[in-house]
Amino acid sequence: MSFAGVDIRDAFFKEVYNIAMQDKNVVFITADTDSFVLHDFKRDLPRQFINASVAEQNMINVATGLALSGKKVFILALIPFVILRCFEHIKVNICSMNLPITIIGLGAGFASGIDGPTHHAIDDIAIMRVLPEITILNPSDSMLSANCARIAYQANGPVYVRLDKGKFPELYESSYDFSAGFKIIKPLREVNIISTGFMTKEALRLIGKLKEKSLDAGLIDLYRIKPLNSLPLLKHIANSKLLVTIEENSIIGGIGTIVSELLTDNRKSIALKRIALKDKQYFNYGTREWLIDNCGMDINSLVKDILTYLKITEN
Amino acid sequence: MQDKIEFLKKKSREIRLRVLDTISEALKGHIGGTYSCVDILVALYYGNILCFRSKDPKWQRRDRFIIGKGHACLAFYHIWIDLGFLDVSKIKDYGKNGSILGGQLHISTAGAEYNSGSLGHAVGIGAGMSLAAKMDKKDYKVFFLIGDGECAEGSIWESVMFAAKHKLNNLIGIVDRNRLSVTDVIEKDDGSGSLEGKFKACGWKVININGHSFGEILSAFRNLDRLRQPLMIVADTVKGKGVSFMENGTKWHHGIPTKEEFELARGELERQL
Repeated sequence: MSFAGVDIRDAFFKEVYNIAMQDKNVVFITADTDSFVLHDFKRDLPRQFINASVAEQNMINVATGLALSGKKVFILALIPFVILRCFEHIKVNICSMNLPITIIGLGAGFASGIDGPTHHAIDDIAIMRVLPEITILNPSDSMLSANCARIAYQANGPVYVRLDKGKFPELYESSYDFSAGFKIIKPLREVNIISTGFMTKEALRLIGKLKEKSLDAGLIDLYRIKPLNSLPLLKHIANSKLLVTIEENSIIGGIGTIVSELLTDNRKSIALKRIALKDKQYFNYGTREWLIDNCGMDINSLVKDILTYLKITEN
Repeated sequence: MQDKIEFLKKKSREIRLRVLDTISEALKGHIGGTYSCVDILVALYYGNILCFRSKDPKWQRRDRFIIGKGHACLAFYHIWIDLGFLDVSKIKDYGKNGSILGGQLHISTAGAEYNSGSLGHAVGIGAGMSLAAKMDKKDYKVFFLIGDGECAEGSIWESVMFAAKHKLNNLIGIVDRNRLSVTDVIEKDDGSGSLEGKFKACGWKVININGHSFGEILSAFRNLDRLRQPLMIVADTVKGKGVSFMENGTKWHHGIPTKEEFELARGELERQL
């Protein structure tokens, strides 16, 4: 099936709908958070659909009770409210008992742009990855998003899926082995970029710009942030001269940190340029594009940064 | 009925004594909040209120009992040992390095339904289990025990509203209202209205009882099959109940008695047997 033109959220929710149609043990809870395809779920599977109202902590606790009673539960809310507000509930209830609950967080990065910093999700990866039991998925296209729903359903423990919004260029085919956790989108070279989610689309643009400057860079889309598929990833990047991580997250604790840990723990001496949001609160309102540019992550700045860094590395 | 009540009274004193002995050996435990709810727990487990199988604590059709105030765990450990859920030899390890029997309840212990330790989770978890029972057309009930100090947690009220909205008439809560939190007295009138009023306003049926009167406890749990909404039993209790000098003092939230105090307490409890 093609996912061309399908919103990344709808792809995920449609797959959950298909799963729940087959498995009456699947329960979907939303904290009054909406998405187009969920209307079908509510209409066709009312006994498996609950609106828990704007009460995210209770949603997690109810999901816990359901999962302890044998249900597979998907819960949905905006990332800051279901992750930051409820972290302790997630740690104690979902994770410490290793329950099959999938947390769907909407609005990865600056996806909620104009709604401001209360709605931004730039610190959730740093927070969630300290939970030992959690699987963290961050899809970058609709085919992958649908498959993330399937991976979450088949997991026996907790899963956190960061969902973006809108339509994304197609990067994955249905035949891809989604257990890999990452995909080489552009053949690897001396300079290789590792990105995740929304920024993979941006990384593709960046690679085009770099090519204009005669720099051919490879690209890896890292969609399973935890557990990292460490050894295969390490094997692929081992011969890089420069690695660049790009993410719409805080510089602390995101994929830049993860790659630096991977290199350090495996005694790999590869230059790493981490491109991410500075360690500061972003209290400006604006569109996602404006926010990203305003953080110094516009394509022209990135090209300059990478070329400068490469020059230093070469010297 | 009188025989039954005498039996329950005797059982309560036994459990209090065993809790005291364990604390005297381990020098760890929350004696005040344990003693305030022992009578309720004994009524639930020995008064034919909870439906369970001693030989099969994870029996699918058992009533679920979610324990918010897990720091009362010593009463549970001793009840579960007495009922045969737990091997008596395990209690020797209570509070020791690496033991599974600690100051809170762990799900791997037969009888424990979730990992307790953080307040404010029990009502929502109970509501989820009640909902699952309804979805699966199962007839078990879900009970939970919370403290009145715990009722300051906001997540409790999210869950209280949820349970009423979903008409979870298989969900029965008990508040152990001993009117003492860790550091303070919980005033009868703190300006925010009574607990009973709050639960009622949120759509629950509310019964107020003396949590140390077995007659009142047993009658509060009658006719649960006729409930049309979730039920909250607000049980007035005394922190440290059963030992005169421990009653109604914040000192005994997690205070450990001296050797002399142990002897005095043991003497009082033994005389009651």
